[in-house]
Amino acid sequence: MRSWPVSEHFRAGDRVRVRTGDPPGHTRVPRYVRGAVGTVVESQGRYPLADERARGRAAVPPEPVYTVRFAACDLWGSGDHSVTVDLWETYLTGDADDR
Amino acid sequence: MTADHHVDATVSQRVRRLESLLEERGIITAGELEDAIETFLASSTPLNGARIVARAWVDEGFKSRLLADANEAIRELGLSMGGGLQEQRLKVVENTASTHNVIVCTLCSCYPIALLGPSPGWYKSEAYRSRVVRDPRGVLGEFGLELGDDVAVTVWDASAESRYMVLPRRPAGTEGLAESELLGVVTRNGLIGTAAV
Amino acid sequence: MSRINDVGGMQGFGPVPADLDGPPFHADWESHVFALNRALIRRGIYNLDEFRDAIERMPPADYLAASYYERWLAAITTLLDEKGVVGDAELAGV
Repeated sequence: MRSWPVSEHFRAGDRVRVRTGDPPGHTRVPRYVRGAVGTVVESQGRYPLADERARGRAAVPPEPVYTVRFAACDLWGSGDHSVTVDLWETYLTGDADDR
Repeated sequence: MTADHHVDATVSQRVRRLESLLEERGIITAGELEDAIETFLASSTPLNGARIVARAWVDEGFKSRLLADANEAIRELGLSMGGGLQEQRLKVVENTASTHNVIVCTLCSCYPIALLGPSPGWYKSEAYRSRVVRDPRGVLGEFGLELGDDVAVTVWDASAESRYMVLPRRPAGTEGLAESELLGVVTRNGLIGTAAV
Repeated sequence: MSRINDVGGMQGFGPVPADLDGPPFHADWESHVFALNRALIRRGIYNLDEFRDAIERMPPADYLAASYYERWLAAITTLLDEKGVVGDAELAGV
């Protein structure tokens, strides 16, 4: 039973890894960042998780959403640009050590 | 075009039938949709974005406030992100000599429509959504925008509840223009990042 | 499972149709679909995330073949049918 994050877990500058889940329904994790490591740019505030809202649930508790920056090179092996993706805390882990 | 007209006629009938059924059930009222469309198009336009940019160019204090909390700052111009279903967080990202920003929503084409009105057709295309995160310089090149190697590109994928707008760089040669004259300098593509301004 | 809408980094879609600009709505039905979606969400028939989910559940071939507002219409009618507001059969007039 997963518990909802009650406080902001990450801060600007933290390295985070996007979970490698493969959810069966609606989610807002683009395929191209699953499993990738990025850096938190900022927290955007708290919003109900889209995955849960899409199930028609009205009372979904808000949780932090973060702007996370990824280097194109880390995502695709090439490219000199960066991509930021807005990710709910549920999508992230602090387990960002290189493997 | 003939094919489009044929499809349109069928779809158009389907939409009209759907509206009739919903009106019968008291879910919508006759004329309600037309009124809503008119109100929306009148209040949500790229000119709002141009006003914000022009003010930021002439007023450093406003620019700082805009970059720190855009929802609050745009109220100074009588603008708001509240024209839609709920007030969304607006994030304005600044182009500089060393950084160029470009906006996308790869998952569906989210866009700050409450402020700027509907997004351009190309912004919604699979071609744009798929390629700009992977090859932004290539995509910008297709729009006629070439960036130097010394300019870093950041692509912002609006995957959650924030909506993004680019603050383009003020072009050289506009120093003598008044704020109202600067409005005409800003294009919709500049606010998305597929044009320099 | 990833869905057809999740196209970031996918290849094969060709050049960006940069000339695809013009009016926000190409036909009245498009503007009506736009406004209808907002009205239905405001009335709590479904929420925005359910709407996005319904678009994503389109069979991939249908999704890619549909225009932007055709996708919206498909999602709206799917949700209205699933929620028992307007059935597919009665919409088709059978």
